Amino acid sequence: TAGNKILHFGACRVSMSMTEIRAGFTAIKANIQARDPIRTLSILSSPRSLHKVKSSDRCCITHHLLNFYMDKVFKHCKTEDSYVNRKISSIANSFLSMRRKLGQCHEQNQCMCGQESTEKFKEILANYEGMNVTSAAMKSLGELDILLDWME
Amino acid sequence: LDEDALLPAPQNISILSTNMKHFLTWSPVIVQEETVRYSVEFQGEYEREYANESWIPTSECSLITGTVCNITEDISATVAYNLRVRADVGARRSEWGTLKGVFNRITTSLTPPLMKVIADGYHLLVELEDMGPAFQLRILYWKKGQERKVQQKVVKEVRSVVHLDTMEAGADHCVTAQTYVDAINRSSSFSQTQCVRAQGDKSM
Repeated sequence: TAGNKILHFGACRVSMSMTEIRAGFTAIKANIQARDPIRTLSILSSPRSLHKVKSSDRCCITHHLLNFYMDKVFKHCKTEDSYVNRKISSIANSFLSMRRKLGQCHEQNQCMCGQESTEKFKEILANYEGMNVTSAAMKSLGELDILLDWME
Repeated sequence: LDEDALLPAPQNISILSTNMKHFLTWSPVIVQEETVRYSVEFQGEYEREYANESWIPTSECSLITGTVCNITEDISATVAYNLRVRADVGARRSEWGTLKGVFNRITTSLTPPLMKVIADGYHLLVELEDMGPAFQLRILYWKKGQERKVQQKVVKEVRSVVHLDTMEAGADHCVTAQTYVDAINRSSSFSQTQCVRAQGDKSM
């Protein structure tokens, strides 16, 4: 089914529809990853994996990452393929819906940013800014399943 | 496009949305002895807030001749969408006609599921309509006269026939059901109750 899941980000619990996002990404994953020639670099995974982030920091880093994808990734991934563009729009609007729900935890102070999440997010930004915008955005989009796996 | 090439923009643009299937409709633009074609575009909240208010062509409605567009695949997040449609005749093109207000799929109307309750010997079965992957079904069933002992079964992966219970000989059992869409966290009303009788005589 559309598969809303209750995701736990430390003290923050949010119901999110992950199945639709995964279906949208799966439909364009090969196309997007084919546009990313530099296979030796990663935006999300180096130097430390997301999986090493403490539970209490999960909400804050998720909030940062949702903003990161909306501010710096989706808008730089426009392609000549209208099918791909529609799927990107679908994912982007679902991220917007998710960030709104996460924002409720932010308001209830359940989304505090610890040292670790701040450091980790700086690494991700540094990886992103170490490349030209379009390549970095396309690579980040190609790594979306890393983020989704970690969130779930 | 010279001045007289302008066509009137499509009017009476509206949404029909039932059970998570969404359709945009509009009134035809009339041009004598010409075929008018229409194109539809959508704009989600993300496009408004982060992508310079850009518009995206729909998957199914570019230069179509009909006045109905299935936008279900394009409305794939629970946010507010803008929608617009324009007309083309040869080299002539209209301005965009835009849906008044926005559309969010959370407002779709949910109808009770179509179902058929079957007594197969002592087995209480229900035959269900497949409404698509977005839907779960909540089925309530009880022995007639024991309305306080209602049982529930939630069906996430809808299949055509669901076995509910084993009935006592000659007993009447009743069933009702509603749909649930977790992407929008809403349920339909319950269907009309249907009752059936198990075979055999009532136990003494």
